Order: sequence, then structure tokens, then C-alpha cells
Amino acid sequence: MKTEERTAIRSLPSGVPGLDIVLGGGLPEFSFNLIAGGPGSGKTILAHQVMFANATVERPSLYFTVLGEPTLKMLRYQRQFTYFDSALAGSAIQFINLSAEVLERDLDEVLQRIVSEIERAKPGIVVVDSFRTISGQPGSPERAASFDLDKFVQRLALHLTTWEVTSFLLGEYAAEEQRNPVFTVADGILWLSQATDRNSVVRKLQVVKSRGRAPMPGLHTFRITDGGLQVFPRIPEQTRNRALQKPDRLSTGVVGMDEMIGGGVIAGDAVMLTGPAGSGKSTVATQFMVAGMAAGETGVIAVFEEYPEEYLARANARNPEVGRMLDEGKLELIYLRPLDLSVDEALSAILESVERLNARRVVIDSLSGFEVALAPTFREDFRESLYRLVGTLTATGVTVFMTAEVSESFSEARFTTEKVSFITDEIIVQRYIEMEGELRRVMAVIKMRGSEHSHQFRLYDVTARGVVVGGTLTEYDAIITGVPTLRAKPARSKRGK
Amino acid sequence: MNTVDRGKPNLSQVQPTPAQIARSLISSRRSEGSGGGNSARGVAAACDNLYRELSRWVGSDGCHALFTRALAEARAEHPALQQIRLRARSDPYVDGVAETIIARGEPATADALEAMLVRLVELLGRLIGDDMATKLIERSLAALEIGGAASDDKQEEA
Repeated sequence: MKTEERTAIRSLPSGVPGLDIVLGGGLPEFSFNLIAGGPGSGKTILAHQVMFANATVERPSLYFTVLGEPTLKMLRYQRQFTYFDSALAGSAIQFINLSAEVLERDLDEVLQRIVSEIERAKPGIVVVDSFRTISGQPGSPERAASFDLDKFVQRLALHLTTWEVTSFLLGEYAAEEQRNPVFTVADGILWLSQATDRNSVVRKLQVVKSRGRAPMPGLHTFRITDGGLQVFPRIPEQTRNRALQKPDRLSTGVVGMDEMIGGGVIAGDAVMLTGPAGSGKSTVATQFMVAGMAAGETGVIAVFEEYPEEYLARANARNPEVGRMLDEGKLELIYLRPLDLSVDEALSAILESVERLNARRVVIDSLSGFEVALAPTFREDFRESLYRLVGTLTATGVTVFMTAEVSESFSEARFTTEKVSFITDEIIVQRYIEMEGELRRVMAVIKMRGSEHSHQFRLYDVTARGVVVGGTLTEYDAIITGVPTLRAKPARSKRGK
Repeated sequence: MNTVDRGKPNLSQVQPTPAQIARSLISSRRSEGSGGGNSARGVAAACDNLYRELSRWVGSDGCHALFTRALAEARAEHPALQQIRLRARSDPYVDGVAETIIARGEPATADALEAMLVRLVELLGRLIGDDMATKLIERSLAALEIGGAASDDKQEEA
């Protein structure tokens, strides 16, 4: 069939940040959907967000409550969320209780009541919460005898579609119950779950089925805040701006470092600076950002190890411009250390800031802190997740500067964390060495894709104004061990004397 | 005191007090022409209507629970309510009005039932917020008006 001959299915906004991307554009209009999940998984909240995003007085939303949460309690709790607009409740959003029909009558009367309310209100959205209590417990003989569930579901779906209603049945189902007739009839199935790993709980959403749509596959993390559900798509939309970027060089703002990396960081690259604790990684990262500001660019710093106030105080002490840039809206400092963080949530927050500021530079300080902030379940996939994070960010055209802490011993040289080095275009390492009874710092460039760079170790100091790169150590050997040795000068020839 | 159009109450424009909402419910009952405004039977009929309409939203059990508590609270100040009984899923919902009128008199019974209605509105407001409570009751009043108009049409047709 040609494209123009297809019947276009309009998409309704879900009202849930991030969910429309996962759904492949939104909720198909007039679809018959099931929102399934265990207790406390967020089904009722999701349904309310959909209603509040779509309800009008002309096409209201009907919310049928059955035997689950009493309506009064539900209203009491739902109105705590910011999406709950009490001006809409009662007119554009109407709540109807079906407990009498379910408790005292049969499925025919339940259907009759639903249909008569739909005829009366002509709604755009209908929610039945909880559908599970209508259908009864599986295997219950008395229910099986009195209710022909297959027929009921078929007729309900038919009525709802005929009345041009987009509908949602909410129910507590387990994964093994997917042979239930409602799963067959439903056009769309959204599955909400809570995964527990040690002390961590991570909420996940999956679009199991979506007729006429190409939803984003996989499990997507979500969080419930006072604004309701927020979904963090596993593979966010990527705007490929990188090709539009000039392959220019960006100054690091560190005297001597640009020279080491062939004239500056290549725009759009992912750069990693590794080093032991106290080696000045955050200082360099801040200098990188300040250099961008000086060039008229905007930027985002994602902090994982410190509270933003502490980070800012320390950055301001060396670079007072940081505070000024924050005040002027040229820089955003994102604090990402909630419990059970997911990579996608972090990416979503960073991308939002990047888009808001049209940022060109992003600092992630640090990957080590980021890994610790993640829920245990995401630490297992850290490499893969980080690959997506860095890939998505650089695809937008921003230059990503990451710091990573490496433990250092004087008996072995360790330049980077093996987990993350493969995702970066440029790697600069810092390390301590012992020289003449003093602890000194050196840095070197060990990877620079598509560019020449220095292969020398360079001494550097962390001063009150930041990191300053000093001289080379050409007279020393074994610098890599942390204990350099002064190369012996060749003995003067005695011949001819 | 805020003025309320008793013919067509619109409670949402300015947040009325529970007493004003209760008065509106009773007045709407009077405007249906089915009983004196402040008569005990008129107030009881207003309670019946509210129970019926509110049950659509919160379920008959939920609504009965609200009325039961409102009655218990109002009884402390109005001994006239001792003989009043609430019968869930029955019509009339408020029972024992005739006996109470005989025992306590018309004005005392009407005042006591109105006090129960005020308690119910207060309770609903505490649970879901005054604005939402007003909305729900307003919807109930609107449904009553529609129901009243439909019944008038039927009478004319007959």
C-alpha cells in the first residue's frame, strides 16, 4: 500500500516526559491499552498523567475505579502531584465508581454501566482501574462460572473503539500471565516494573506491544517525582550535528597543555583525563570550561563526587569567572548524585542542559563518581552504558571532557581505567613521581585519534590560578615507574689525551 | 458572606464555606419543588440526593462511610439525630426522619440534618481539599438539575 493510502493514526501526547519517544511518537488515538505492573509500580500515576495531558471539557476523560484504591484516597494522593489540575477534575476529568456493579451484579451490567457513561460523557480517554478486580483472580471457579471474560474484553474493546475512545485498563499482572485474553485484545501493552538489586530499587518501563507503531525496544528506566513519571529512553533521539562542526581545536585553558595535544582538543571529541586523587583533574576540567567561556561558548558541568556548592566554591577560588558564568546563564552545573541513578537519567539531564544552553562543552567530573552513583544493576553494564552516553553526547556536536580517578602504585604504571578508555578519542594521564625527595606531578598524552601529539612526560604544578605545565624530563629514564632515574652522562673519552 | 445564586448554584467561583455548600444543596432541593426549603424532609431529601450522586464518584460504600462519620460527629451536638439511620443502597437513604420530627419537632430535625450535611462537606474537604470537594458537590448539583429537567420533560410528555 502506498504511504498516502494509509489511514493516518493520530498520536496523543502521554504527558509523561520521555515516554512519547519510547512509544514512537505518542499514544495511538483510539487504541485499547493495558498498563500492567505490580503494586506501587506507578500505573495509576501514569494513567492520570495521560488524562491530564489530554482531557478537555468537550472530550473529557472518564476514570472508572473498581475495587482497588478507594476513590477518595486516590484523589487525596493524586492531587499531590504537580500535573493534577483541580480545575479539570470534575469537569474535564470525571471519576466514576463501579464497585456496586462489580460486587453485586455481573459483567454484563459492568459493561452496560461503562457504555452508558461513555454515551453520556463522550470522552476522549477512558481508564479502568483496576481491571484486574473486574476479571477476578485467575483460576477462581466462581468467577469463571459467572464471567465470560474473553467475551467481556472483546465487547469492551469494541465499544471503546466504536466510540472513538483511547482507553487504558490498569491491572496487576505477573509476567507469566501474558496468555490472559486481555493481552491478546490490547493494541498496546505498557509494562511497569521495579527491579531490586541488593538495597537498590530501579523502576523500568517496557512497551511490550504497540500496534501500528515502532516503539523503542528494551527496558527504559523511569523515576517517580512530584511531577509524576519521567521516563529516560534507553537510546535517546540523536541529533547528528557533528558533521556540521568545524574540525577546529578548542583550547584547554591550561598553559602548555594545548601544545602537548597538537594545538588543542579536537572539537566534538571525547577526552578523558585520568590521574590519582589530588592530581588536579577537576582543576583542569574547570580550566577547560573557563577557556570555552572566554571564547564565547556555553557549557555544562555534571558533578558526581561533590555537592555543587562545594564544587563551585573550589572552582571559584581558582577561577572567579565560573560563578559569573553561572549567573549569566552561560554555564550550568548539574548535580547528579541521587540514589539508584541510571545512565539514561544522567544522559537525559545533561542533554536537557546542552539543548537549553546550546552548549559546546560538557565536563563530566568524574566517571568514577558517576559509576558509584549508579544503581548496582547499571554498574554491571557500565561500559555499554557509557558508550551510549558518550556517543549520544558527541553526536550532538559537543566536546566531552571527562575525568577519571585511577589508583596508583609505584610498582606499576596504570594510565586509565580499562573500562572506559575505549570510548574516548583523547586520553591524557596525570601521575605522581618521586624526584629528589619530593612528590612531583607529571602528565602525558597517550591517545589522540587523528592527530599528532607530544610523547613526552611534562612536569606540571597546581597553582592558585590552576594547572601550569612545565618542562620535560628528557634527562630522566623510568619516569613511568614513578621513580625516575637520572640518566648517566656518557663518560668522556680519554683517547687523545 | 458570599452571595450564592440559589436557583443555579455555582460554588466553584469563590470558595464557599461548608455551611454555604450545605445550604446550596438544600436550596437546590427546594428549587426542584419537592419540599419546603428548611423542612426536615427537604434536608433529608438533599442528603439522599447527595448520597446518590456522590456514590457515582466515590462508590456507595465510600459515600456511606463519609455520611456515617458525619452523622456520628453531628450527633454530639444534635441529639435529634439519635433516631436517624443511614441505609446504604436504599431509597430513601436517610431513615427515621418522620419519627424524629414527631419526637423533636420540625425545626430541630431540620437543623440537625443540616449540621450532618455541613460535617460531611467539611470531612470531604479535609480528605481531598476544599476545592475538589466543592467540585464534586457542584457536579452532583449539576446532575440533579439535568435529572430534574429530564423528569419535567417526561411529565410534559405525559
